[in-house]
Amino acid sequence: MMNITRLAAALAVLFTAIGAVSGCATTPTPKCELSGTRDLTAAIASAESRLDGGCVAHFDRYMDQLIDVAAGDPTADNKQAFSNFLLWTSDQGLLSRRQAQETWNRYFNVKFVSLRGDYNNCAQTCPIKGRVMADMESELADKERGLLQAALDRESYYRADRLLKETELVLEATCRACVAGGR
Amino acid sequence: MKPNARCGNGRDGAPSLAMATACIISTLPLLTGAARGPALQLFPTTVLEDIKETGQVAEEMESGLQDIIARLDRQQQLYIQSKCEGATDDPGCAQISRQLGATYMEMLETMSQRLPDMERAVNSTRDSLETRLRAELGLKMTPWTLQETLLGQQPDGSTNVEPELRGRSGLRLSQRFRQYYQLVAQPGRNTGHSLAVVASDIYLDMEEASALIAQTREEIGRATLLEELNQSFGVITPEMQAVVDGVKSILFGEAGQVVELAGPPPGAGEVAYQSPLEW
Repeated sequence: MMNITRLAAALAVLFTAIGAVSGCATTPTPKCELSGTRDLTAAIASAESRLDGGCVAHFDRYMDQLIDVAAGDPTADNKQAFSNFLLWTSDQGLLSRRQAQETWNRYFNVKFVSLRGDYNNCAQTCPIKGRVMADMESELADKERGLLQAALDRESYYRADRLLKETELVLEATCRACVAGGR
Repeated sequence: MKPNARCGNGRDGAPSLAMATACIISTLPLLTGAARGPALQLFPTTVLEDIKETGQVAEEMESGLQDIIARLDRQQQLYIQSKCEGATDDPGCAQISRQLGATYMEMLETMSQRLPDMERAVNSTRDSLETRLRAELGLKMTPWTLQETLLGQQPDGSTNVEPELRGRSGLRLSQRFRQYYQLVAQPGRNTGHSLAVVASDIYLDMEEASALIAQTREEIGRATLLEELNQSFGVITPEMQAVVDGVKSILFGEAGQVVELAGPPPGAGEVAYQSPLEW
């Protein structure tokens, strides 16, 4: 009889714990959805508000959505709007200055964030040339969304496109020359 | 952008002379111009001399082959006009065929005499460019400085009126080398490409041309051996025709690919916004 009582008590504790855990899972989290506005200024304000409210983990998704919103009303001013937004995230300590720079340059600069490094090309770039080129291709797609679709900066986008092709040619030759020198 | 992709082996994986010779022209692109970077030492005097000499050797090869090619054309024309195709028993046609075969062999022989010089000149240009590329772009530059070098040739907001072209056809081999030389020897020309691109382009072309010349020499050796074994060139085979076409391409630039390097930027020429985040 005593054992049954103990078992019942243990089960009660267990069920309470389960209830508590499931209760935690349904505890309301900060509202992290962006407003559905198609106005970039309002969308950025919404993103800032959400980021301020603890939704930092959603930053990449916000950036993606904001680019989409900007592409709906493309203008050269959008570059500055994104720059201000990213500076704000940096000032708020949500992103490091470097992260903010990388994000902005990935979308809005002709230069490729993917093509950086502190060592010489023979040592650093050539051994991973394929990966570097793949990363640059991927970055060019982001530049297409940023420069071309969101900011209407065709000239810069086409220059980035040409830079990618030139880089491929130059790396092909340079890396062959590096290998030939090592023979 | 991958020069090797433009050329390959012939049927059954064997490199054909026609393909090899045709590829020489299609992979010796003409570049339209370049800007001179401030610190790059990609084209010192030795490299310029190599390019110049390659052009001269090409010119000698042209002059040696020009008459033979013209004679081949006339004989071939006569063969076609006389409706000799399939007329193996006709003595007149047999005579034209023998003359064609002899002229064809003369062309191969002349090429085999000239090609070693051509190969040496091309290899020399390739080797000197290889050394400069390794030193200047491979060892002295980081990925970032390379990128800045490629970008640094055009002032902000400038646009190219015309797309830059590689692999322009319609030029003699010697003229192409002459233009290569002019391209890199004349300072102050600014038509959109950095010297790094020009040097890389010429180097890759020289490397491929070197391999193709070697293949061509092998093919000539094989064809000569066949003749020595008394295998008559009594008819114009597709292979013979392709070889003749290939040689004509080399000499006179009658065929070739035009590869657009990049699309034309239709830019609006407005003053660009510069973010404080921009590198």
